Amino acid sequence: MDPRLEYKLAMTRRHFFGKSACGLGAAALGACMSPSIFANDLASGGAGTHGIMPALHHAPKAKRIIWLFMADGPSQLDLWDYKPKLAEYYDKDLPESVRNGQRITTMTSGQTRFPCAPSIFKFAQHGKHGAWISELLPHMGGVADDICIVKSMHTDAINHDPAITFITTGSEIPGRPSLGAWLSYGIGSPNDDLPAFVVLISRLAQGGQTQALFSRLWGSGFLATKHAGVSLRSSGDPVLYLSNPPGVNADVRRQMLDGLGELNQERLAELGDPEIGARIAQYEMAFRMQTSVPELVDISKEPKHVLEMYGDEVTQPGSFAYNYGTRQNRRGLWSPGGLAHPSRIARLVVDRVYSYRMGRQADAQADGDVWNLSTVLEGDTGTAGSGSRESTAGTRTPVPSGCRSDSRFGPGHERSAGGTRRWQECQTVPA
Amino acid sequence: MSGLLVEREGGKSVKPYQPEGVWEAVAFVGSNTREFKQDSGESLYRRSLYTFWKRTSPPPLLATFDAPSRENCTVRRPRTNTPLQALALMNDKQYVEAARKLAARMMKEGGSTPQERLTFGFRLTTARTPSAKEMEVLQRTLQKHLMVFGADKPAAEKLLAYGDSPKATDLDPGEHAAWTMVANLLINLDETISK
Repeated sequence: MDPRLEYKLAMTRRHFFGKSACGLGAAALGACMSPSIFANDLASGGAGTHGIMPALHHAPKAKRIIWLFMADGPSQLDLWDYKPKLAEYYDKDLPESVRNGQRITTMTSGQTRFPCAPSIFKFAQHGKHGAWISELLPHMGGVADDICIVKSMHTDAINHDPAITFITTGSEIPGRPSLGAWLSYGIGSPNDDLPAFVVLISRLAQGGQTQALFSRLWGSGFLATKHAGVSLRSSGDPVLYLSNPPGVNADVRRQMLDGLGELNQERLAELGDPEIGARIAQYEMAFRMQTSVPELVDISKEPKHVLEMYGDEVTQPGSFAYNYGTRQNRRGLWSPGGLAHPSRIARLVVDRVYSYRMGRQADAQADGDVWNLSTVLEGDTGTAGSGSRESTAGTRTPVPSGCRSDSRFGPGHERSAGGTRRWQECQTVPA
Repeated sequence: MSGLLVEREGGKSVKPYQPEGVWEAVAFVGSNTREFKQDSGESLYRRSLYTFWKRTSPPPLLATFDAPSRENCTVRRPRTNTPLQALALMNDKQYVEAARKLAARMMKEGGSTPQERLTFGFRLTTARTPSAKEMEVLQRTLQKHLMVFGADKPAAEKLLAYGDSPKATDLDPGEHAAWTMVANLLINLDETISK
């Protein structure tokens, strides 16, 4: 019998009202799980999706989205956003026309004055379009014409937590779905073996974060949790609960799943509840993930020249380079919103800034890590080492007077007292 | 159904099993909830109402099953059906241990024949007796598991050692492991999960 007819026959009015909310979800789920449903429906109508949207507004060009979200990274003023005028304002108070009555965080509000300071890094124009890029990103200069730099993004938040919540979910107030969750909901994924939206969190070499992260940053908000980012972890199972318990191998799991599938199928035939069908599909996907996910995060089979593009840290699980080197971006995942957190690299850049500000010698290791950062970023474009690596020697400006010693970057660049402490910890990290 | 659940009301928050590294991944270096220290004994088997919450990293098992994040009011908890839930119910230590205890109950309290024991376990999990077809599937699966674990005692011992509660000393390890996998199946039935 046609399963749709069978389902209709099995449905009673009570079923309908009891299940209509879930049923809609099941339809969306079915579409995610079995792309052919929508592909068939849409065969005549052009580009279809695997999510809730019946079709795209325009022909897609992007194959995947990789979002490197660098909480606690260096400021745009030191990387992309060239502000030569700031040099003229060095050690002058921030004009009221700029501040415009804005709130200041408690970390900075105790300062006696709010002087300006320019970036201490040299900027140069790159590519045909003359994009200004800092010396901290030498490789990016070589690919300047292949990238798009958007400088108009801003938040009204004055503190990390609401600001990063805004950036990842569009609202400072928690509860909204993250970008990847929206993509999973709207477009879905053509890959049957892996979740649509995966997240990789990098961490400091000694573990932990210098800025706390929140699972809401990749959460599904008010959308169903199946759209939430699946965090691929660097310790233990790459996905929570992925491994069978000790003593249970894949054959035993298969035996158990065969029995489970048969019994669930019996129940489905009896009740016609599509949720049971979805459950059967989910257990099969879970079984496939047990094979596909370890393969996904295994970089040991990558050729050496590919690994080298990602820098020295690529073999250290949890490092930014390692996360980036894993193959999630080559497996037909449409929306792996990678939430990277290259704290260690960022910290060393900050360390380097600090060294200059305090009139110290630049740390050669920091130099190397900045190099890695740009190498890693460049890996995305598939172009190899064409950037120039310039010397960072030059006149350095000291901290303007009137700032707390730990507010060494002036307004907008403030570090907390805790930041200073963490920075000291960072200094002891072996490279 | 496994007999592990603590029925007593009240008491302090508890930290049951949690995969390693969950807190550390998002925590400040200096955070006092960076390292997760699991409780032991009775604290592992309390209702999830008593589970300790770290707000930036809710208990992963509860989050997997759509627990609201507690960051804002939630009128209705959504219900989803995901492969991550399947993995949790199949592999989380909490559920594997429960399966082991349920298996021991089926073997000791269920009766003397496999049919009686399977019926006992099926009734505990689904609140009804299995049909003839269902019994046939369960028996077939049990036979397969008995063959595997009967021939591989070390694997059986490993499975039975998963979870903190002491393992039964009066049961044959190969048989107990096979029944544990059948109990694992029963716990994962759609009817058990969503009845």
